[in-house]
Amino acid sequence: MKNKYSIYQKGHSIISPLACGSSANFEAIAAGKSQLRSYGQRWGIPEPFFASVFEDDNSFGDIVPPKVEMSHGTFPQYTRFEKLAIKAAGEAIRNAEIDASGNRVLFILSTTKGNVELLEHLGSRHDDRPYLWYSAQLIAQHFGNQNTPIVVSNACISGCAAQIAAYNMLQYSDQYDYVVVVGAEVLSKFIISGFQSFKALSPERCKPFDANRCGLNLGEAGAAIVYARTDKPEELADSTIIMEAGAINNDANHISGPSRTGEGLLRSIRKVTKNFDTQRIAFINAHGTATLYNDDMESVAINRAGLQDIPVNSLKGYYGHTLGAAGVMEVILSSIALQKHMAIKSLGTEQPGTVQALNVCMENHEVQGDAFLKLISGFGGSNAAVLFSLRQGPVIRGQGTVIRIHNSQFTIHNSIVLPEITIGAQSIDDQLAQLYRNIGMSYPKFFKMDRLCKFGILGAESLLKDYNFDRENVKADWGIILMNSASSLDNDRRYQETIATDNYYPSPAVFVYTLANIVTGEIAIRHKIGGESSFYVMPEYKQELIEEIIGQAFTANPELTHIICGWVDVDGENCEVKMGLYKRMDNGQWTMHNAQCTMHNE
Amino acid sequence: MEELIYKLKEEIIDVLNLEGMKPEDIDENAPLFGEGLGLDSIDALELIVLMEKNYGIKLKNANEGKEIFKSVRVMAEYINEHKTK
Repeated sequence: MKNKYSIYQKGHSIISPLACGSSANFEAIAAGKSQLRSYGQRWGIPEPFFASVFEDDNSFGDIVPPKVEMSHGTFPQYTRFEKLAIKAAGEAIRNAEIDASGNRVLFILSTTKGNVELLEHLGSRHDDRPYLWYSAQLIAQHFGNQNTPIVVSNACISGCAAQIAAYNMLQYSDQYDYVVVVGAEVLSKFIISGFQSFKALSPERCKPFDANRCGLNLGEAGAAIVYARTDKPEELADSTIIMEAGAINNDANHISGPSRTGEGLLRSIRKVTKNFDTQRIAFINAHGTATLYNDDMESVAINRAGLQDIPVNSLKGYYGHTLGAAGVMEVILSSIALQKHMAIKSLGTEQPGTVQALNVCMENHEVQGDAFLKLISGFGGSNAAVLFSLRQGPVIRGQGTVIRIHNSQFTIHNSIVLPEITIGAQSIDDQLAQLYRNIGMSYPKFFKMDRLCKFGILGAESLLKDYNFDRENVKADWGIILMNSASSLDNDRRYQETIATDNYYPSPAVFVYTLANIVTGEIAIRHKIGGESSFYVMPEYKQELIEEIIGQAFTANPELTHIICGWVDVDGENCEVKMGLYKRMDNGQWTMHNAQCTMHNE
Repeated sequence: MEELIYKLKEEIIDVLNLEGMKPEDIDENAPLFGEGLGLDSIDALELIVLMEKNYGIKLKNANEGKEIFKSVRVMAEYINEHKTK
């Protein structure tokens, strides 16, 4: 299927500890500069760490909330995270020369933890500020945009997942002309202590793909890209960067460990390079976190895809791993590199040494080709590949119409309502354990999960209990798309307790669940689901938006036959689960098949 | 030592959420990882936290855990030798 529109970058920006602006950042890394360094007692973290952080809050300039009343009141000032995201978005919007307040502009925010540092001082007090949807709303409303923004919270792949979501919105929905993708992450005691408890951090500059690599560095950054669409790509300037394709696949292997076989990433690479002449790929910008397992996994996937001779780099040696910003920032830097026909040196790599050999860029050098491939992987078993090209390459002509799966009709068969969770007599955990037994599950891992995962796993279990499907093999034609409003905040509060100043024992088993998309990973592992897995955060349950996203997922992923989709929200005593199994029909439509599972406590 | 082994089993069941397990169900001489309890890499990291929190033992390198977590008995012996609280 050829698509009607070419989706292209209209403007972008990077705000990092290294420089302000996309070009300034590119020039800095092309000159081999980095702000990665060792920090001692910062943020009350007892152990030193090596990272790239903004020296002070004024790095983002003086950004104040607009005088106009926001839908949720007015604020004296923005947080560090909000300022960074707004600064990056503002520069990108200016460069794109668009009016971001229009109703045909959508904001998509990519972050893993947003304002999570606020939890330290909130205690049990409720505040909207740490909610990711709330940050997104503040950012969009700063620019006068009233559309409900979407937050993509897919752990480390969020930045690329957000661009794929932007592509789908522009390609398959007629609602928007522009999508502003904003990726931002600030570091804090919360995030750094968690990675320390995972023993994942390198005490010195990270060494991507190196034989002696010993972990990652973390970094702060904000980056934004304005995407636009056109059905007349020949009218674009030659240097315009086009997003050709993107794919997300789950490993269905482990919630924190990468697959040894690179299965999920390989599926994504194969999907985006299908029908594309891989000779055109000038370089691969890999994730390259410099952990032992990630880099080995990428080397396996790249080799299995037959792309091992293409130059590969990682930009983590310049900025560290900037989490939710990484996928956005690294795509911008790679786009500029492609426009200059060069591949950037993989800073930090001294002696390449991955389980399978790669052609690592040891110096900046000129490259042939008019496309690049971006790879990224993360917790929850998620992987993504995105392919970009210069407009001057062959123009793929569309058919003039968008082939679209109609999402107006679906039926619910055989609705299952699970026993209600009630507050009071029994704790929520005891009731969840009771539900687990009632469903007849035998899965000891259930008891290690946080509540969000327990609800998600029980929902999926009840949907699939009597459904006839292949339970033995990983199914690339099944996907999982979940949404909620509280992301992983319920468990974030629990993790916060493990890093209290007077009782500081960061728990890795709690930290791993401080990412909302882990629930999609747990379901993928349990039911061997290897297609797309995504997690979105929004203010409230909206059936039409969920249907829009399902429709786009079925349209963008022709291989998908089933999607487990729904709402799994856990926030203290407020728990709400509405999940369905959606099945593609022979006539191109899709139906909500088999069961709807509803759990609530109201 | 037997007392420490029993206490350690209780602590392991608690921090790793080994549902339905009692100390008697864990063979202190059997490997903790690879078989039996079905533990994974995150559990290993959590055991490192347990040693620090309950016994004041700080491992410099996660790889040291491989030797220490061979069995509950080996772990108890290590704790007995190195504990600071």
